Amino acid sequence: MEMSLLDAAIKGLTNILHLKVFLAMMVGVGIGTFTAVAPQGLGMPLVYAILLPVVVRWEPVTGMALLIGASSVSAICAAYLPILFGIPGGSGSQATVLDGYPMGKRGEGRRALGASFMAGGMGCLVGTFTLALAIPAAQPLIYLMGAPELFVVVLWGLSMVAVLAGRRPIKGLIAAAFGLLIATVGQQGQSGIMRFVFDQPYLLDGIPLSIIALALFGIPSALDLALTKIGVEQQPAPLKGSLLDGVKDTLREWWLVLRCSFIGVWVGIVPGIGSQVVDWLAYGHAAQTSKDARNFGKGDVRGVIAPESANDAKDGGDLVTTLLLGFPQGVVTALFIVALLAWGYLPGPEMVKKNLDIVYSVVWIQGISGVIGTLVGFVLAAQLAKLAEVRYSVMVPIIFIFVLMGAFSVNRDPIDLLVVVVFGIIGYLMRRFGYPRPAMILGLVLGGLMETYLYRSMASYGFSWLARPSVIVLLSLAAVSFLLTMRARLKRSPKAQVA
Amino acid sequence: MMSSRVVKTAGRIITFLAGLQMFAGAGLAQAPFYQGKTITMIVSTAPGGTGDLRVKAMTPVLRKHIPGNPAIAMEYMDGGGGRKAANYLFRNSRPDGLTVGALSGGIVSLEIMRESGVMYDLDKFIYLGAPESGGHYIIYTRKELGLSSIEKLRAASGLRIGAQSVGHVSYVAGRLFAYFLGLKDPKFIAGYSAPEVDAALLRGELDARANLTTSMLRRNPEWVEKSLMDFHSIMEVPLGAKHPRFPTVPEIETFAKSEQEKKVLAVWRVFRLVGSPYMLPPATPKDKVDILQDAMRKTLKDAEFHREYKKLVGDDVDPLMPEELSKAIREIPRDPEVIEMLRTLSGAGPLPPRS
Repeated sequence: MEMSLLDAAIKGLTNILHLKVFLAMMVGVGIGTFTAVAPQGLGMPLVYAILLPVVVRWEPVTGMALLIGASSVSAICAAYLPILFGIPGGSGSQATVLDGYPMGKRGEGRRALGASFMAGGMGCLVGTFTLALAIPAAQPLIYLMGAPELFVVVLWGLSMVAVLAGRRPIKGLIAAAFGLLIATVGQQGQSGIMRFVFDQPYLLDGIPLSIIALALFGIPSALDLALTKIGVEQQPAPLKGSLLDGVKDTLREWWLVLRCSFIGVWVGIVPGIGSQVVDWLAYGHAAQTSKDARNFGKGDVRGVIAPESANDAKDGGDLVTTLLLGFPQGVVTALFIVALLAWGYLPGPEMVKKNLDIVYSVVWIQGISGVIGTLVGFVLAAQLAKLAEVRYSVMVPIIFIFVLMGAFSVNRDPIDLLVVVVFGIIGYLMRRFGYPRPAMILGLVLGGLMETYLYRSMASYGFSWLARPSVIVLLSLAAVSFLLTMRARLKRSPKAQVA
Repeated sequence: MMSSRVVKTAGRIITFLAGLQMFAGAGLAQAPFYQGKTITMIVSTAPGGTGDLRVKAMTPVLRKHIPGNPAIAMEYMDGGGGRKAANYLFRNSRPDGLTVGALSGGIVSLEIMRESGVMYDLDKFIYLGAPESGGHYIIYTRKELGLSSIEKLRAASGLRIGAQSVGHVSYVAGRLFAYFLGLKDPKFIAGYSAPEVDAALLRGELDARANLTTSMLRRNPEWVEKSLMDFHSIMEVPLGAKHPRFPTVPEIETFAKSEQEKKVLAVWRVFRLVGSPYMLPPATPKDKVDILQDAMRKTLKDAEFHREYKKLVGDDVDPLMPEELSKAIREIPRDPEVIEMLRTLSGAGPLPPRS
């Protein structure tokens, strides 16, 4: 490297100490906040696609401040939807609904929002800090994780079903199996075989996970309210608790925040796991390692803290892979790479060698905008929490509109609305008859990944991948984790349940 | 007398108003058709991808060249490798000159090779042109394998060749290279994303891959500069256009053993040559077609478009004018035996034996 790490870090900071960079960051924060709180449909990929032709004409650091400012804040502020409306937020904020919504319903919306913003802010800082430290060391770590290692990690993730199934292990397995089955719909990438496509072009790429998650959680929440409250002028539960209570909860659970943040960073760094998994992994880990998990799924604040800290730490991990290796982890990071190339930087080892100060400018922007985003979240939370006081008769149609708009915004295909109805009914029936929906989501998310990594492992190595030291270590960890979970469940009270 | 005066006055007023109406009508008829209108651009990729950026680079300049400067609204319709958007453009959109398709070149091969889910007819679309065409493909192996010559490459057995999904252009290119170079028992491992293939190659999980030269040089220039990979063969699109960075790498057609094999490569080259075509639904009125084709010609030659495209996409514009694109599609060989051979080579089954 041509510049020492310390020199680069200092120069990176001085690069951004200009008024126009700060203003660009604030504009980015504003755009990110609006994207988070606006009715679903905007989304950060679309925002980036709109901004890109404009920012590539700016000075690089100013443009980066706008883009990173927007994306880091959007993740932090997205928790209001799951907490106040019971609708999963963007990918990475789905698990928050399990405990955030029950907290909102019993009047603890402010506390839940306070916890989510604080956890998100802390997670963002952990992710940023990791990004800063990872620069000399990330490359060998990333290349260590091949298809066999990723398969074992995904298998480990699937073992979380045991946690998420609560006291209904058989129903949990059935729900997870159903999720695995839905994951098979579409053209199989490795063989080209069409599975359950029925000659319908809509099904060629499978059924979008975001639409299923929206329908599975959003529709039953609204139906529940409508079927039990309609015709009865019941007021929602009065607001209690405060943002500060949520902050205190998060600080008290600092160790959980740290662990889940590292899960998020690691998911972000390793190519191939995907942001749709991070919140579930963190949630499952929190429930798995808790001494008393009875209240998970019923409004336990840890069920909010865990996924939100992981989700926001993941951005730092994403940037490690994007900046240091030039590998995008999703549409947003792919577009960020496009912007970097337009500004004349080649993400990857070349950028680390020749433009290390710019890499550190990104690190500083990520950290500072995360702090600003948290503060903005707190300012907005007080107002947003009042949404919980809205009557159910008004709330129910709003939830339906949000769900339908969110689903339609994915592909702008009317068939998506039909999918919402079908999976909304499935979600309602699952909830009615005690089949845990998170287990189904986990099966859906991880099923495709498991198949892909198992296929690649067998195709590249035959059975010899089972003897790789890293695989043996990871398998052992997964087995120990699973056994400890089962032992804890056997010791736990029969009333304990998750989801 | 009074009444006749009133009638005459009324008559003059009516005549005046009729004349005014006539002139006003004539004035309105002279306003361009597209003035105050919105063109819907059906885009077959997701927002934010390279395909989207190509469209974004074009639309402001295209708008400038269409008389009346209509608004252009993008409607994203990704899915099915472009089939969803192409089906919609063919079957559901109105042929009134207000809907344009910005589709991926893959729709051409999908229809010619009679893949499932295709509900459009390439010969019935009306073509406006394409901003980029061609693009060379090259196959390379990890340096550690020591396969520094064609002979060593052919002697190696079970080479693991990585690619995106079955049917993806990189997958088919890899299969074609393996067939024509005569590789022994190659294994095709599909289902990677583009960056994942590179990582898997560096990690030793894969041995080889086929890739677009521009993508490889953009993402990993050091592979060529520092000779970190062994480059074995190149597929020139169009044939005869030498790549300045790989002047001595043998062209794939030098390994063809029969006319039929050369025809297979010719069809494949045409598939790649059409780039990302713009098109109108069938039966669009000729006057609207003429306006849009003329606007597209001007856009494809416009220096502003070239600059914007280079900035956003990172590649140079290499356009196909409307008539060139129409000709290319019309002249795609449709020999059933050749198409069937290409289907077999593109599929997931074992490579056919060579005669």
